[in-house]
This record gives sequence, C-alpha cells and structure tokens, in this order.
Amino acid sequence: MEDGLRGSGIDSGLRADLEALVGADAVVSRRSELKVYECDGWTIEKNAPDLLVMPRSTEQVSAILRLLHRRGVAFVPRGAGTGLSGGCLPLAAPVMICTSRMNRIVSIDLSNRRVEVQPGVVNLHVTDAVRPQGYFYAPDPSSQSACTIGGNIAENSGGPHTLKYGVTANHVLGVELVLPDGEVVELGGPAEEKLGYDLAGAVVGSEGTVGIVTRATLRLMRAPQSYRTMLALFDDVDTATRAVSKIIADGMVPGAIEMMDRLIIGAVEAAFHVGFPPGAGAALIVELDGLAAGLDDHASRAAELMRSCGARSVELARDEAQRQLLWKARKRAFGAVGRLASNYATQDGVVPRTRLPDILREITAIAARYRLRIGNVFHAGDGNIHPIVLYEERDADETRRAIEAGREILKACLAMGGSLTGEHGIGVEKLAEMPLLFSPDDLRVMAELRAVFDPDNRSNPGKVLPRPGSCVEVSAPRRQVPL
Amino acid sequence: MSSVLQTELGRLFDAGRLREPRGFESAAAEVVVEPASLDEIGELVRKCERDRICVAPIGACRTLRCLRSAPVSAGVSLIQMAGVIAHEPDDMTVVVGAGATLAALEAVLARHGQHLPVDPPFPDQTTVGAMLGAAHSGLTRLSAGTVRDFLIGVQFVGHGGKAVRGGGRVVKNVAGYDLMKVMIGSFGTLGIITEATFKLRPLPELYAIAIGYHCAPAEAFETGFRLHDALALLHLELLSPGIRTPLTREGQYLLAAGVGGNRKDADYQLEEIRRLQPGTLILEGADARRFYRVLRDAELPQAPLRMQIAALPRQLPSCLDRPGLQFRAHAAAGVAQLALDDAETAAGIRRAAADARGHARVLSLQPALRGLIPIFDQPPSGALKLMRRLKAAFDPAGIFNPGCFVGGI
Repeated sequence: MEDGLRGSGIDSGLRADLEALVGADAVVSRRSELKVYECDGWTIEKNAPDLLVMPRSTEQVSAILRLLHRRGVAFVPRGAGTGLSGGCLPLAAPVMICTSRMNRIVSIDLSNRRVEVQPGVVNLHVTDAVRPQGYFYAPDPSSQSACTIGGNIAENSGGPHTLKYGVTANHVLGVELVLPDGEVVELGGPAEEKLGYDLAGAVVGSEGTVGIVTRATLRLMRAPQSYRTMLALFDDVDTATRAVSKIIADGMVPGAIEMMDRLIIGAVEAAFHVGFPPGAGAALIVELDGLAAGLDDHASRAAELMRSCGARSVELARDEAQRQLLWKARKRAFGAVGRLASNYATQDGVVPRTRLPDILREITAIAARYRLRIGNVFHAGDGNIHPIVLYEERDADETRRAIEAGREILKACLAMGGSLTGEHGIGVEKLAEMPLLFSPDDLRVMAELRAVFDPDNRSNPGKVLPRPGSCVEVSAPRRQVPL
Repeated sequence: MSSVLQTELGRLFDAGRLREPRGFESAAAEVVVEPASLDEIGELVRKCERDRICVAPIGACRTLRCLRSAPVSAGVSLIQMAGVIAHEPDDMTVVVGAGATLAALEAVLARHGQHLPVDPPFPDQTTVGAMLGAAHSGLTRLSAGTVRDFLIGVQFVGHGGKAVRGGGRVVKNVAGYDLMKVMIGSFGTLGIITEATFKLRPLPELYAIAIGYHCAPAEAFETGFRLHDALALLHLELLSPGIRTPLTREGQYLLAAGVGGNRKDADYQLEEIRRLQPGTLILEGADARRFYRVLRDAELPQAPLRMQIAALPRQLPSCLDRPGLQFRAHAAAGVAQLALDDAETAAGIRRAAADARGHARVLSLQPALRGLIPIFDQPPSGALKLMRRLKAAFDPAGIFNPGCFVGGI
C-alpha cells in the first residue's frame, strides 16, 4: 500500500483520478503532510484524512464529488480548520476537501449591500474589502482573521457582535451548493424574500453534512457612525452579570457585551498589557454603536447602570487604538490562555441570560470537583458561555477529567433551559449530549432533513446527529493511525 | 364529502371542536377542526394520513383561500392553542401558541416595554402560525429583519402525528439542524406549526416619522435611498397615490421614514431628513404611533389581482416603473406589494422582478384569473428537486396542504 493510502475504498487509482481532475499539486497524500489536517481547534480527538484535495473552482468540486459518488467514498469539507467542535475531523470520511484555494470575492454590490464570495474567503477580508466605503460584514468570530466564510456557513458562526447583529444565518441570503452526488444547485438569492422552502437557511449550520458550499451571497451592513467601548471592572462575576441584565433591561441594544473572569483577566493582562488592575474578579467590555449624536448619552447611561450595580471602575476607550486593544485582548483571549496550560478545550453552552450567575457558580463547583482550572470569557449579552478547561494532553487522567467536566457543564446548561452550543456547532464534541436536548422524534426529523441533501450519508458522516441507539464514545482519542 | 368527513372526524373530536367553515373559510376548508392539544392534532394527522384526507392550518384564512383553488378537506384552527406559554421579560424571550394573534402577543409584551419587531399588517387577524407559515413581515424589516431573524424555537406536528421541536428557548443556539428556517414560509405543506419561541427587543425610547411628498416614484425612491444610506432608519415606506391614508395628498407619492433611539438620535436624524428632503412633515409621540399603524395596515386599492415582489433593492424602482401603478413598497428592503388589473401586466412585472434577481408571489386574485397566472414563481430546477424531496420526506402521505406551493408541491 502506498504512503498515506489505506482502507475504506481508497486506492492509488482514486488518487490518480483526483489528480487528473485537479492537478497533482492539489492532492495531498503524504502522511506527514496530512497530519496538519488531523483536527481543528477541538484537539482532544485526532484523525488525519487519507487524501486531501484542494479544488479551485465549483467545476472542480463538482467533478470531485461526482467521482466520489461513483466510488461510494465519503468526504469531509474543511475551511481553515479553526472550528472548535471537531466539525472537520474525518470520522468515516477518507477524503478531505479543503476550500481554502477558492478565496475570491466574486462581486461587491455596495448599493444593494450584497457581496458574493467563494467559500475560502477569510471572514475579515470581506469587511476589509468594503470598510473604506463604510460597510462591514457583521458576524465576527474571534478567529475572524483566519476562519473562512465556508466554515462560518457550516458552523453558523457567531461572535461578540451577534448580540445586536445576529449570527451567520442572519446574513447569508443565498448559496451555490454542490450536492454529495456532484450536482450544483442554487439555493436562495440576493432578494430578501424566499422562493419556496428556505433551503439556504437549512444549509447554514449544517456542519458540512449537506455537500460543499462553493459560493455565497452575503448581506453587508452600513458601518456605525461611531462607537463607545467601555471596560468595566467588578469584584466578582455575579455582580458583573447583574450589570449585564440591568443594561439590557433598560432598553439598550449594545453591539456587544463580553465578560472575562479573574483567570482570563490575568492571562490577557500578561499577554497584551491592557492595564487590567491585579485582583479584578470580572471585566465587562461593553460596546455601543450607532449614530454619533446620541451615543454619549447611551454610554453614560450604561456606565451609570454598571456603577449602580457595583462596578469598581468604568473606563471609556479614549480612541480607536485603545478600542482595538480591548478587542484584541478579548478576541485573542483563547491564545493568551495557551500560556497557562499546554492544552485547553473551549465549551460553548448557552443559558438564558438571567441564569448566568447560576451557571458560573456551577462551573466553579465543577472545576473544584474535577481538580481543574476553568476560565471564563464569553458573550454575556447572549448568555453564551465559553468556559475554557485547561489540561495537559500528556496526562491521560487530567484529559479524561477535562472531558468529563465539559460534559457536566453542558448538562448544567441544559438543566437551566439552555443549549449545547451557541456558535461552535455539535461536531463530534457534543454528539453524545444531543439526545438530552432533542427527542428521538426531533432527531429523526433532522435526519430526514439531512437525507434530502445527502441520502447516502457521505458528506461528513457521523456529525451533528448521534446514531440512533448508540452512545458515542469520545473519551479516548480517535487517533486510529499509528504515527 | 363534507358530511361524511364530519361524521368521521366527529368520532375523534367533541362536537365543540368541529364546525362548519365560516365566511371565507369555506374557500379554504370543508370542515374546520379546533384541536386543543398536541395529542388531538396527532390523532387528526394520523387519521388524515390513513384516509388520505388533505389538511391545512387555516389561521384567519387570508392566505390559504388565495393559495388554494379548491378547499382542503380539514382546516385546522389553533384558536384553542393561543396562549402565551412563557414570557421571560428579563431573558427577552417568549413562548407562544401558534393560534395566538399578534395583537394578543403584542399586548402581553408591551406591558414590559418589549415587542416582537416583526409587525405584519392586521395583527388582530394574523396568528403566530400564519406569520410563520406565510413568512409575513412588516415595515420594520428594514432595521430589525423578518421573522426568520427572531424565531429561536419551533414546534410542529409532522407526519405520523408526531410533535417535533427545533431550536430552543435561548437567543443563540446552533444545536441541530435549523428546523425553524425550514418551517418559515412553508405554507402549511410540511406539518402544523403549534408553538413558537421568539427573541424580543425593547421598544424604542422615542419614535418619530418623517413624511415627504414626491411627484414621481423615481424621485421618491432616490430620496429614500439617500436617507437610508445616511441614517439608521427603522423603516422606509413608499405609498403610491392610490393608497389612501389620512395624510395622503392627491396625486403624490408618500415617503415615510421612521426614526428612533434617544432624543439626540431622533433629533439628528430628523434634522438630516429635513435637509435632504425639504418640506418634510414630522410626526412624533402619539401621532407617530397612530400613523405607524396606518402605514402598517395600509391596503392596496381593490383590484383583480394583488402581488408581492422582491428584488435587489436598487432595482425595485425599475420593476415598478409603470404609469399609474398602485403599490406600497418597503423601499430599501426591495419588497413591494402591487395592485394590478390583469394577468398580462402581472406577468410583465414578474419578469422584471426576475431580471432584478428576485421573484413575485400572487397575494390575491379574482376567480376569473385563477389558472391564468401562477401564484409562485418556479424555483431553479436543482432547488425545486430538493424541495420536492423535502416535501416527500416530511409529508410522505401528501396530506399537508398539497398542490398549491411552488412547483405544485
């Protein structure tokens, strides 16, 4: 058997056929090179694909999928690999199709506030292309300087500013989708109303299980005239969460309300020197945006509310540079945590916003019970928590405890009326918990919806929906390949 | 048929739950059932599947009677499932039965200074189920979006009479496939929506309307687009002269821009509008709120045919560029409703909308015109194939409002 090719319908003939379709430079089969693709940001499980293909056009994607269809080979689509739930981890899919070379902005129509992009376009590049004219693309995941629109569509990505502007699903109007049998279909379109069923809406968030999106029509927004970005420090997270509820109850819709706890504040300060005082128990970044005229009044009202809730200090970003520093600290918090431990797993549970104090207390208790450090940096306005569980991969017992603690946190979210995932997707990480959130009938109907697109179950098999009656075992790494 | 069916359904339901259709319901359903629980709907669906009886949710029957050329056998009214199940003011979410009218929902929410900013016309006649099924929207779609941006959870009774849930009760949630998107705008063809969960928004602190009058639609649209680009408008409505309101001026197109926010936000925007559109009339406070309702419910003149088109926003004016055309437009959203005299004109406008990368839907038509013009455009063949598969998967017996959706689904 040749290097990197093994089992599951894969043979050197398939590689040759793929090379004939896309060129030898667009097919990777060396095991050492494939190792890069063995996981995304969910690093607890790893499994490299047998072959990686990097198409450059819709026609190539279609030809690849027709070939795989004929041979009955399953595939997994991949964007930039920044996902956090194992969405592009190959399970029963030997071929990985990476869309990063399809990275062209096809057209920009500012007067209609539309942009058409290929799936490999980096999220931030969309905004970069229209910022000078005063527009932006709203979904802004923390990984936005690396993650791609294709991946965002697969995972229905969010970000801090989804509080006001919504997630990816609210901004994708239409997609060109290559079905798992290679047929190219147009779903939705640039007009605001839908014609027939909203299939483009169903594709968003389907985690790569319905084929490969090769083009997307996105809605652009007019950039706000102005921002007021505040940093408020509190003694503890309880007080900070009360302030969040106060602000929202007052009738404001801030662009974002983000929270960091003591552990994260320490890590971020060490990495970026934002000027957080030592000992602060919680920090809120509150950003208001909109028309310049009324913004100062909104900001002083928000500041007043936070002080009345017990904020130790509330500071307004002096200028754009300081605002950017705050956002850098927030968006790179995950990276900063890398200084504290070799490995971390980020959870993505959601609770009704009023239950934030309860879930944070629960997380503290879980951390103590499992003898782990857990930091919290999250979208407080949405109730979307991101506990970061620190662990050492080399310590098998600690890894096991990290996985168990994560599951307990998710169960606690569900017990409070919440959800397993606010923006990261189910992937493989949360498969086992799906039956806790949805009934067998719910899951059956979701499987029926999936089969509309992928009747043979060859597009990213094994994701989103647990197999009926099976308990997914994730405690052992999925690395099946001897390295 | 009706009496046999009535006898059969009478075995499943108490006499009080089964009735003759009233008024224009008779164009949509032969018998009306008013189930009071998921179990009762489940029973009904199983019965319909066994005996191949067509069934459809009817709401107030305004959409269904246009959609259908012949009534379904059993119409489902959810008037018994019309309660607000859980309003969590601090979480800004609400769970509501699909039979609730939007007016009833609004009354509950307004007590807490909140609203569901999807505000289609005639909220006292529009049920939550109808808003979802027909994807009804309102003028605030420009700033707030449509119902697909606010629906965070849905429950429906599908094939086999099984109750199915998608989404949840939290404002941000990507767990599982998005059944909400699939059900919105499905016109009762996939199942019977029984319950919805929405995220909410605070009512704006201040609300004002700036009204401008224009002699020609092109000039009105141009002004509107300028305002939309410069400001953060809540809505931008353009009414042709034939749409009568208390503020209509003879022969003039009325452009109504809504502004909100705090005092300074509103003052700044009103000042800008006055500058960009000299002669602007400003309404504030109760006057503005009253005229908002007039705008929301503004009706097209009586006409043989009414249609809604959606197009790229900047191309909307060219779609409407016909002498004397009566329309109301959500100007900057690229959506308009039109009153038309004949099928030929409608076909022309439908082509114009398609050229503007959009499509058209017939909202109402005289019986004589039925069959001369399709209710929906035909989706592209690949998309239609998937839609047919979806219909077959969700409704294998073909009983849910069959034969009147896109492509004859």
